[in-house]
Amino acid sequence: MDNLKGKTVSLAHGAGGKQTSELIDQVFKAHFANPELTSDDAAVLKMKEGKIAFTTDGFIVSPSEFPGGNIGKLSICGTVNDLSCMGAKPLYLSCAFVIEEGFPMEKLEAIAAAMEKTANEAGVKIVAGDTKVAGKGQVDGVFITTTGIGEIQEGVETSGFMAKPGDAVIVSGDIGRHGCTILLAREDFGIDADVTSDCAPLWGTVQDILSVTKDVHVIRDATRGGVGTVLYEIAEQSKTGIRLNAEAIPVQDSVKGVCGMLGLEPLYLACEGRLVIFAPKENAEAIVAKLREGKYSSEAAIIGEVTEEMPGRVVVTTEIGAETLLPPPGGELLPRIC
Amino acid sequence: MKEQLKKAKAIIEGYDGPAVRVMEVCGTHTHEIFHLGVRKILPPQVELISGPGCPVCVTPAGFIDEAIWLALEKNVTICTFGDLVRVPGSTRSLADARSLGGKIQMVYSPMDAFEYAKEHKDEQVVFLSVGFETTTPASCLSVKMAKEAGLTNYALLAANKTMPGAYEMLKDSADVFLYPGHVNAITGNALNRKLCEEGGISGIVTGFTASEILTAFAVLLKKFPEGKPFFVNAYPRVVTEEGSIPAQKLIKEWMEPCDSQWRGLGMIKNSGLRLRKEAQDFDARVKFSIPKMEGRTSPACRCGDVLQGKCRPTDCKVFGKGCTPLHPIGACMVSNEGACSAYYQYNSRGE
Repeated sequence: MDNLKGKTVSLAHGAGGKQTSELIDQVFKAHFANPELTSDDAAVLKMKEGKIAFTTDGFIVSPSEFPGGNIGKLSICGTVNDLSCMGAKPLYLSCAFVIEEGFPMEKLEAIAAAMEKTANEAGVKIVAGDTKVAGKGQVDGVFITTTGIGEIQEGVETSGFMAKPGDAVIVSGDIGRHGCTILLAREDFGIDADVTSDCAPLWGTVQDILSVTKDVHVIRDATRGGVGTVLYEIAEQSKTGIRLNAEAIPVQDSVKGVCGMLGLEPLYLACEGRLVIFAPKENAEAIVAKLREGKYSSEAAIIGEVTEEMPGRVVVTTEIGAETLLPPPGGELLPRIC
Repeated sequence: MKEQLKKAKAIIEGYDGPAVRVMEVCGTHTHEIFHLGVRKILPPQVELISGPGCPVCVTPAGFIDEAIWLALEKNVTICTFGDLVRVPGSTRSLADARSLGGKIQMVYSPMDAFEYAKEHKDEQVVFLSVGFETTTPASCLSVKMAKEAGLTNYALLAANKTMPGAYEMLKDSADVFLYPGHVNAITGNALNRKLCEEGGISGIVTGFTASEILTAFAVLLKKFPEGKPFFVNAYPRVVTEEGSIPAQKLIKEWMEPCDSQWRGLGMIKNSGLRLRKEAQDFDARVKFSIPKMEGRTSPACRCGDVLQGKCRPTDCKVFGKGCTPLHPIGACMVSNEGACSAYYQYNSRGE
């Protein structure tokens, strides 16, 4: 869009007048248009009978663009994935922007374009929105909040409280790429490595799982805090232990390399397109086989199992065959990643 | 499990020789040994002691005080490895100094500090140069480049250390030393051979992968019962006899030996490095006339005893109570590579 070149967002764009309409028409409506997105105060939606899932998430990633995506793509994936993890088909989203005065219009347009593309892929409509402009320095670039509604599929019930001894623990792909990408993109470390964010909308992946069996106990997306934090949460909620097989955990070599240099544990790096799945052992191989055919889950693997002993703990069988505790998540100071 | 790993593991688990105390000198070894669960497969008569090879752990409180003084009194921008930020000085840490307005910049290498100084000519920049033979060459290189670039706003606050004096001092704390492969990659093996031949100190150089670490244990458990001092280089793919000559040259060109204060161990003769007279424009102590700072550590903290293998982290009264990774009292609780931090994170309280 050439008419946006060189322009920046000003406080007037957030004042509610003519310039606000311009911003909305040129940037947001151009990308988000659909019959349910109207100029009225609220969207009017039709829902089927049954249970809905409803969630919200704020995004403040720095930098707002990174290899493999930008904050726009992330803001759609985050909410779509939260709904998907509950076995809910994502239907509608709202999005609220807080934009720093002086933010380049072209960048904002790129963010909206990424949101459009990702929403289309996920089959979700953006039906409501809000834009505020904050003074220079009051926010960093752009912050986005998305809220979503999804329709829970019949016969599906997942929850972090439902892991059971005998369940297999599955990850839908290699772990830690998003967190690693953001660390490198911040250039605080002067390390170059070929890592791209795993950021992806995962409703299709969840459908793949449910096409094999609806008897799935837990599905979680391993975002902030990574797979390790998710596992500790579930062990705590379900009052079970979890035993991991270190050698089975898929980690890209470049991510391993960066973790080695910085002393980080890949299990604690954020993902934005990876699911952790708990399902009865007997279905695990079939789930993994199906996942490996999928676009975002070709590296899926069984990484461990749920145990009765040591409730609340996550232990690792290491590559030398010894059993150690996975150090519980700590208050590590990591940069803003989502 | 790989064949070589299996073989090494079988040797270790089947060890029925005399009791032996092994000190891993290097913090990265400490961390990896916990990470892999090596302690879990060692027979009870094999005792592992975590030595003083984590640069953060042996950095004295007085050094932190000097850095804080530069940041708060002289408005200097401090560039530092992230680990040092939470190490307690006499009364506060660099993190505290930052909240008081001090400018503390985290870097991954001395070269980043040099780059920062180049891009911020209106700031005085000091890099906190800690570490052993592995990191010292990079510190020297940053000074060399600063000189070549004509920078007048870059200096080092040096607390670099060398291992020989520490080995000498710790020789009664262990029967066998697990030498840090990365240090020997720079220094070569001459000193370790001399310690073995003249001082009767046994040791083995090894790397950091599971099979390198287990192989080293298997070899030392074979050798130890023979009763003769031994030295083995079990990391020949990286460590050569003469080490890295260019790195050694770089250190000699810019730095000279000095006595050095080790947190917990005290003053060790000739165990440190300082910038040579010719480079004193880059020596923060000279440049800013830093007053002498003695540095005090908490009397409750037993990091010194831990570093010498006189007690385990769990024997310390404040371990896991007043002293945790988020609120460290002693330096060994700060770094991921510190013995107390490793014990705490891997929950070895009852071990």
